[in-house]
Amino acid sequence: MKIKSLLVMGILLAVLALTACTGKEATDKQPSPNKGNETQKPTGKSEENRVLTIAMGSDIVSFDIHNHNNTSTEAVHDNMFNYLFKRDDNNVIQPELVDTFEQLDELTVQMKLKPGVKFHNGDPLTSEDVKFTLERVATDDTLKEFPNYKQIKQVDIIDELTFKIVTHAPEPSLFHRLSRLGSGMLPKKYIEENGWDHFLANPVGTGPYKFKQWVRDDRIVMVPFEDYYEGKEDEWDEVVFRVIPENSTRVSELLTGGVDIAVNVPPSDWDRVDKNDGTSMKKETSNRTIMLILRSTEGYPTSDVRVRQAIDYAIDDGSLAEFALKGGGIPTTTRVGPGNFGHNPKLYNTYNYDLEKAKSLLAEAGYPDGFEMTLHSPRGRYLQDAEVTEMIAGMLTQAGIKVNIEFMEWSNFVEMRSAKKNKDAYLLGLGNSMFDGAYSVDWYRAARFEGETDYKNDEIEELLKASASNMNSAEREAQIQRIEEIAAEDVPHVQLYQETINTGVSDRIVFTPTQDEMIYVPKIKRK
Amino acid sequence: MIKFLFKRILEFIPVLIIISFIVFSLVFVAGNPVALMLPEDASQEDIERLTVALGLDQPFIVQYGKYMLGLIQGDFGRSFRYNTDALPLVLERLPATLELAAASMVIAIIIAIPLGVWSATRKNTSMDLLATGGAVIGKAMPNFWLGIMLILLFSVTLGWFPVSGRGTMAHLVLPAITLGTGIAAEMTRLIRSSMVEILSQDYVRTAKSKGLRDFFVVYKHAFRNSLIPVVTITALQTSTLVGGALITETVFSWPGLGQLLIQAVNTRDMAIVQASVFIIAILVILMNLLADIIYRILDPRIKYS
Repeated sequence: MKIKSLLVMGILLAVLALTACTGKEATDKQPSPNKGNETQKPTGKSEENRVLTIAMGSDIVSFDIHNHNNTSTEAVHDNMFNYLFKRDDNNVIQPELVDTFEQLDELTVQMKLKPGVKFHNGDPLTSEDVKFTLERVATDDTLKEFPNYKQIKQVDIIDELTFKIVTHAPEPSLFHRLSRLGSGMLPKKYIEENGWDHFLANPVGTGPYKFKQWVRDDRIVMVPFEDYYEGKEDEWDEVVFRVIPENSTRVSELLTGGVDIAVNVPPSDWDRVDKNDGTSMKKETSNRTIMLILRSTEGYPTSDVRVRQAIDYAIDDGSLAEFALKGGGIPTTTRVGPGNFGHNPKLYNTYNYDLEKAKSLLAEAGYPDGFEMTLHSPRGRYLQDAEVTEMIAGMLTQAGIKVNIEFMEWSNFVEMRSAKKNKDAYLLGLGNSMFDGAYSVDWYRAARFEGETDYKNDEIEELLKASASNMNSAEREAQIQRIEEIAAEDVPHVQLYQETINTGVSDRIVFTPTQDEMIYVPKIKRK
Repeated sequence: MIKFLFKRILEFIPVLIIISFIVFSLVFVAGNPVALMLPEDASQEDIERLTVALGLDQPFIVQYGKYMLGLIQGDFGRSFRYNTDALPLVLERLPATLELAAASMVIAIIIAIPLGVWSATRKNTSMDLLATGGAVIGKAMPNFWLGIMLILLFSVTLGWFPVSGRGTMAHLVLPAITLGTGIAAEMTRLIRSSMVEILSQDYVRTAKSKGLRDFFVVYKHAFRNSLIPVVTITALQTSTLVGGALITETVFSWPGLGQLLIQAVNTRDMAIVQASVFIIAILVILMNLLADIIYRILDPRIKYS
């Protein structure tokens, strides 16, 4: 028995040791922890600590800049890849990799690249790379960014730095498209010589920081690119994007000085971050608007414009923003927020709330005693979404509308929309990475939502058609603004508020979140 | 013994086929992942285009047939989300999860053995009640809650351990305690009841009557015999460990299989879910086999049949 027991204990210990050793091997491959950044409180002065650590809520999807639809992935890519154009601090589109450009006709723009731009492997950026990059995303329909670039027909090379972009039809949004992720330049020669899998494991861009390491679901490490065309960034020796999905853990890392920036801090932790010595909350309006999408299909009470208006008047957006969101929202009656092309300031930072008017509109529509409706809502997708939905239900009840809330897990919610099984209303948040109002107001186009919302307004249809190919910028802006005004009156969607971006920041750095939710490291400085 | 092992290994095959079918069906029934891959404002046309491009428009039987054909050749398919082969991605994560599981098991053993034995030797005293009550609480505490509490106390307030991540031994302590506590509670109760039974046996009374010191009676005579069920149950805790790792890894940002699997389920990344469950199933089956072997070594009365 004694020998056998020893044998058994030996086997067990061997299994444990083996598994522990396997783990240790992998552990040794991890980057050494950021010692100055680990469990100590932030020192305030950071001369010796030139490592910037940023806590993200999710890992990047991949380094294929054309094959994801993920803002937090782009926030990381933004530091490694340059775009042809870029929005400045005032959201005005400015050339980035492009030196000069000229609109030759409605379908063609000629551009010349800045000289001396290099990829991280030393190859120069040329027109060949532009053609390779843009034609890939414009023709490969399996890529997730294809819908945003399929308008490009081809890229014609004139010389090493000069090229023409030709579109299938007049494309007023072309520059908006070229100032986002799809126009991040890929190295043609490097990819063709080494293959895609090699590129995805060892990505190369032209941006201020170059790739060092990616440990999936753990961290992405970058270092400054010595030959950056605007000069080497020397503020940080290393930038670490850490993946910390759990909100409370992310906040704890910030409080203990483990990270310098924590994204998406929930309202319940705002006070904790602000009261902690060495950290504070920074808030910025996002480009995401939360709304109720109403069903205008015949047979639904919401097919009557008066009922839709009544719902709008019964909801106190100000209270939603102040109480449910704890100040994390700005009421609006348009989805096209500031910074977007076509923004209508008259409809922003305002809302309709008049309970008596809501009741009288319902009575006019033939519902003096109200009616019963279903409101679908995701839970945990948007800031305080469940609280907002419950509060809306309470507000509508006061107007006489009995609301049956159906909370849904996100994938089921998406499935419901996809199968067009939505009932009277659902809560949705929509961003606009294009920063072009045309994409927001396209949600009123009848053909697009046939069977889902069935909303149709003839004037909006005409304006949408006219603005889609209008190369006159001023006219197009006026057309988009007019659509917003009609929609605010006709209420196919009840626009509620724009969410804020809520970021916890260490006092040792200077960082201001931006509306596009990018984390552009060259703008982050030590104090 | 060899015959027994051969027979058990052959039994793996139908089990793994059944598991692959169940997981494939569940992920299939959960719906089309394409809508989740695209942004909220994607058009129906975009959704349909990508569905066709990924072959997800084909009937269940065709998709499953293709999957099984790949599986026979060792190909688990490509991850939709990461656009890379699923199996290497899963295997890449395995060491982190095994490291956490091994450390949790060590912690569970360190807590459970002395506590279980101590509690059994003080049967029905207030100390025993305290220990068994503690075990019930340990088992009842949800991993995510315990994890967050440990972070708040030991990392935020006391600053003893890093909050999250993987890198040094210090990073391992809090997640291992979180995951190990539930298992320790289970083991404590098991050791206690096993010890209580053994301590009432005649040979223990004989040993005591010979005038042996309590320590020798308890640890040399009784404890060794009480280990038979404990050792086997410990091996069977693998599935509990993996289940607990899903939550613990998320709370502590531990880059293991659990985190990968949760992400994959959320995004309906079929290939990753399949590959992860497959690997976990193999681990659990192997540990069950190990438990069987250990049991037979410890207790020769059990025959290989």
